[in-house]
Parts: sequence; structure tokens; C-alpha cells
Amino acid sequence: MHVIPQLLASTILLGGVYALIAVGLTLIFGVMRVVNFAHGEFLMLGMYLAFWAFTLLGLDPYVTLVLGLPLIFGGGWLSYRLVMRPVIHASHNVQVFTTVGLSIALQALALVLWSADSQFVRTSYYAVVVRFGGMALNLAQIAAFAVAVLFTAALFAFMRWSYTGKVMRATAQDRHAASLMGIDTGRVFALTWAVGITCVGAAGVLLAPIYPVYPSVGLQFVLIAYVAVVLGGLGDMVGALIASLVVAFVEVVGSYVIGTAWKEVLYLLLFIAILVIRPAGLFGQRGAEVIGT
Amino acid sequence: MRGTWPAVAFFAAAALGPIVVRDAFLLDGLILILLWGASAAAWNVAGGYAGQLSLGHAAFFGLGAYSAALLGTRWGVSPWIGLLVGAGLATAFGFILGFLSNRLRGPYFGLATIAFSQVLLIVASRWRGFTSGSEGIPVPFRPGLWTLGIADKRVWVYLVLLLAALLYLVQLYLERSRRGYQLAAVREDEDAALSLGVPARRLKVAAIAVSAALTAVCGTLWAQYVGFVDPFYVFSVDLSVRFCLAAILGGIGTPLGPFLGAALITILETSLRARFGGIGAGLVGIYLIIYGVVLIVTMRFAPQGLLPWFGEHLRRRPHLGTAP
Repeated sequence: MHVIPQLLASTILLGGVYALIAVGLTLIFGVMRVVNFAHGEFLMLGMYLAFWAFTLLGLDPYVTLVLGLPLIFGGGWLSYRLVMRPVIHASHNVQVFTTVGLSIALQALALVLWSADSQFVRTSYYAVVVRFGGMALNLAQIAAFAVAVLFTAALFAFMRWSYTGKVMRATAQDRHAASLMGIDTGRVFALTWAVGITCVGAAGVLLAPIYPVYPSVGLQFVLIAYVAVVLGGLGDMVGALIASLVVAFVEVVGSYVIGTAWKEVLYLLLFIAILVIRPAGLFGQRGAEVIGT
Repeated sequence: MRGTWPAVAFFAAAALGPIVVRDAFLLDGLILILLWGASAAAWNVAGGYAGQLSLGHAAFFGLGAYSAALLGTRWGVSPWIGLLVGAGLATAFGFILGFLSNRLRGPYFGLATIAFSQVLLIVASRWRGFTSGSEGIPVPFRPGLWTLGIADKRVWVYLVLLLAALLYLVQLYLERSRRGYQLAAVREDEDAALSLGVPARRLKVAAIAVSAALTAVCGTLWAQYVGFVDPFYVFSVDLSVRFCLAAILGGIGTPLGPFLGAALITILETSLRARFGGIGAGLVGIYLIIYGVVLIVTMRFAPQGLLPWFGEHLRRRPHLGTAP
């Protein structure tokens, strides 16, 4: 009786957080034409940030989120300056392997700092369950969803109406024309990267009270984000948002029907199917992956 | 044969290794260099020569490792048969992957291959009844060449040296044959190659299938040598990256590059492990940090790899470093 509303509620809660991860990834691709293979590692660093703030300073993850945003943004900016800027005009392959190298280095850094063991952020409310209309929902998940939606909405508004957002969209459409219009594309790329990293880092902080954190935790989430981003059309932010819900739906219903052990296979097969049948995504334009280099 | 003397010197030095050196630790290092070099060379067939930058080659490596280990432990079949079965399976999967992802270019192909290897990882680690799940499979030691139960590391050196030499010759063929030229044309500009009547599709699929089969052979030998198959290792993204990294570091699309890269990485890894391993398990990560930084720095300053960078003006290398 209560299964369907429960599944739908879980889908929406999960999809909201996936969306925050996917939106950052698709923003970076849309503007910079870089597929960030180190995206999951920034999620992992966000989770560890929450973990450290909680165990060392006793800060609640939601306080960490507010205080940590400038830190995550700064970290993103720094990683752009040190790692991405030199290869921003290089070929796709060079960029792919640069981000792969960044991913390896960040994962290993976490391994050195925090060991390979799973760590937990055990807040006092981690097991609180809210019952509403026959649905049982975890409080931390609701909070993560609410903040993720706020964050994504703010990003959409920023992209839509702010001057900087318009400049970023102009660069995404045609970087050469943008630079002819006097746009400093180098700065736009740095800002885009830092904003994308901030999204995924914030998602990491939000996920910390829900999931255990270990150095390679990013892969599991970023694979989902890749699925969502490709399904929505690389670079398409609205598409990524809708696709995140689709992926969350597949995951939730799949866990219910065939069990949690095999749910990953479902969305990976969905992913391969999309890549084969319609690599431009459900809403994207055809051939989006080859233009704009 | 022009330009092959560095390779001849490399393989001759490796062949002399067991005669000069008796130390088991050094021989082990030599075996791993040759095995990782062969694996990277197998990746290079698809990644370097065909320009299909796979990030999921661990899938094929794992297929090879699992085929021989499962056939051996469950039915007592010789690992040589397992090697053929693994290579056959990998060829089939390579064909499927090649056909399905034929239209995908650039990062899309990489994403598809990651997803593919993750599917195999999940199947291997969750299908408890058949693969023993996440516990992995210990490969039983049964003495004899037919069962690959070889205690003498010197024999192993020559076995993997044979494999490495085979891989080198396959790459040399791609470097110098008509098919190799066609493949290079497809890699550099697929549309232009198609317009000249080069069967681009078929060549790409064939290159992926051959590369997959050879990677599986490396996987079988690796599993038989190490004696244990762990699904989270043989199907991991880390392992896939290791193959690319060795080939890219040494020189992508060059026959000797993967071996040079594998030698550098293996030496770096073992020496850093020996140095930091004793202090604390967490410090093992330091070599991985260096590993990642080396990849970033290589991409930044020598995207063609070290071999071409050292002034070896090898012709027809892929232009990985220049924007298309």
C-alpha cells in the first residue's frame, strides 16, 4: 500500500543530491568542454571536510557547509590554477588524463591523511526518521535534499540572470566569439571550474551525515553523476536535473525489485544503452561531444 | 630493421637478467616490469595505434585472470586452456564493446569503457555461487609447466619475456604494415580516412578486439604468477589507469614506450613502497600521490610521452598533445 509513495519520496530525495553532483559536472563540461574525471574526488574531500570539522572542532555538518563554502571554492580555484589552466587549450585526451592524474593524487592524499577505513559523521540526529503520510524518511536525507535544491536553484538563477552567468553561457556557446567580445575566457574557465567544484564539494558535505566516507567513495557517486549528465546531454543543466531524478528512480525501484546488491548494474547498463543509442542524451543536440573543441 | 636497436637492447638486457641476478626481489621486479609493460602494450594497440582511449581495459585483464583461475579451481583445467578461453571471451567482449561504442569519440568512449569494466566488477564480486564473490580466488599451486606451477622465478622471466616480445612485434606490425598505416589514418582523421576508402569501423573494432585478447593473456599470466585473483583489483579503474599511464608516460603509439613507462612506474612503485611501507600503512598512499602528479606533469610538459620527448624522432606517433 505504502510502497509507491515511499519509492517516489526516496527517488526525489536521492535525485536532489545527485542533481547537485551532476550539475557541477555538466557546468564544467558545458563551459570548458572538459570531462572532469576528478569530480568524485572533490565530493570525497567535501565529505572528509565535514568529518574533520565534526570530529576535531565539533561542528555540525550544516554549519560546516556554510563556513566551508569559501574554502571549497578556494580549493577549486587553486586546483584550476595549478592543474587545469596549463592544459585548457590542449586536446581532449590530454585533459582527460590530467583529470585522471588529479583524481589519483587526491585519492592518495586522502589515503595518507585519513587511512582507507570507513569514517562516519555520527550526528545526534543521524537515525531520526520523519514519518509523513505513511512514508518514513531520514531527517538527514531531507535536509540534504532541501539544501541541494536551494543550491541548484541558486546556481540556475546565477546562470540565468547574473552578468557573470551570462558571460559563462556566452563562453559555453562560442569561446572564440566570447573572447572577441572582450570576455576574459581564462577567468571564466577558472570561475566555472571553481563553481562546479563548489557544487560537488557542498554535495559531499551534505552526504557526510548519510554515507560512510573512505578515499574511493567518490567513484560510486560520480558514476551516477556521469550517467545523469550523459542522459541529460553533456553541458545541459536542466537535462542533468531531470536525468538525476530518472537515475535515482532507476536506483530506488531497482533496489526494491531486484535488491540493493545489483542496483548498480542497472544504471550502468542504462548508461551504456544511452551511450550506444543516443550519446547526445535525451535533450542534448546530436554530435555535442565533438563540437566546440 | 631500422630503429629497433633500443628494443633489442631492452629485451636482451631482460633476457640476461636471470643469468646475472639471483636475487628473488629483483627478479620479481623484472617479471612485473615485463608483465605490466606487456599489458600497457596491449592497451597501446587500441589506445595508441587506434586512438581508442579506453579507461576500462581492466575488464579484459580481469576476464583473463578469472577464466584461468575459475577453470583451474573448479574443473582442474590447465591455465593454458584458461588462457585461450580468457582470450576468446575478451575478444568477444572487445567486439561487442567496439561495435557498440563505434560512434563514440573522445571522453565518451572512455566513459563507456569505465561503465563496462564496472559491470564486470559487480558481476564478479556479487555472483557468489560462481566466482566466490568479493573474497576472490586463490590459484592453487600445482607443479609443472602445463599447470603453470613454477617456483623458479627465472622460468617466469623467460615466460613473460616471450609475451612481452610478442606484444612488441604486434606493435611493430602496426607501426610498419599497410593495416597499421590505415589505422593511423583513422586515428588522425576518421572522416578523411573514410573518404579514402579505409574501412575505419572494421579496423577500429578489430584493434579493440585484438587489444582485449592480448590484455586477457596478460591477465591470465599475472593471476597465475601472483597466485590470487581479487575482483576489486583486477577489474578496478586504478588498474585500467595503470595501463594507460605506462603507455602514455613512455610514449603513446610507440612500440617500446609502454615497456619504458612500465619500467619507470614499477621501479618508482617498488622503491617507494620499500621506503615508506615499513613506517605506516597510510604512507603507502605517498607513491600514489607521486604517481598522480607524474601523470599530470607528463600531460603538461610531454604529452607525447618520454620516448619521443627524449628526442627519439619516431615517425607517425599520434598527436595527442595538439588540439584537433
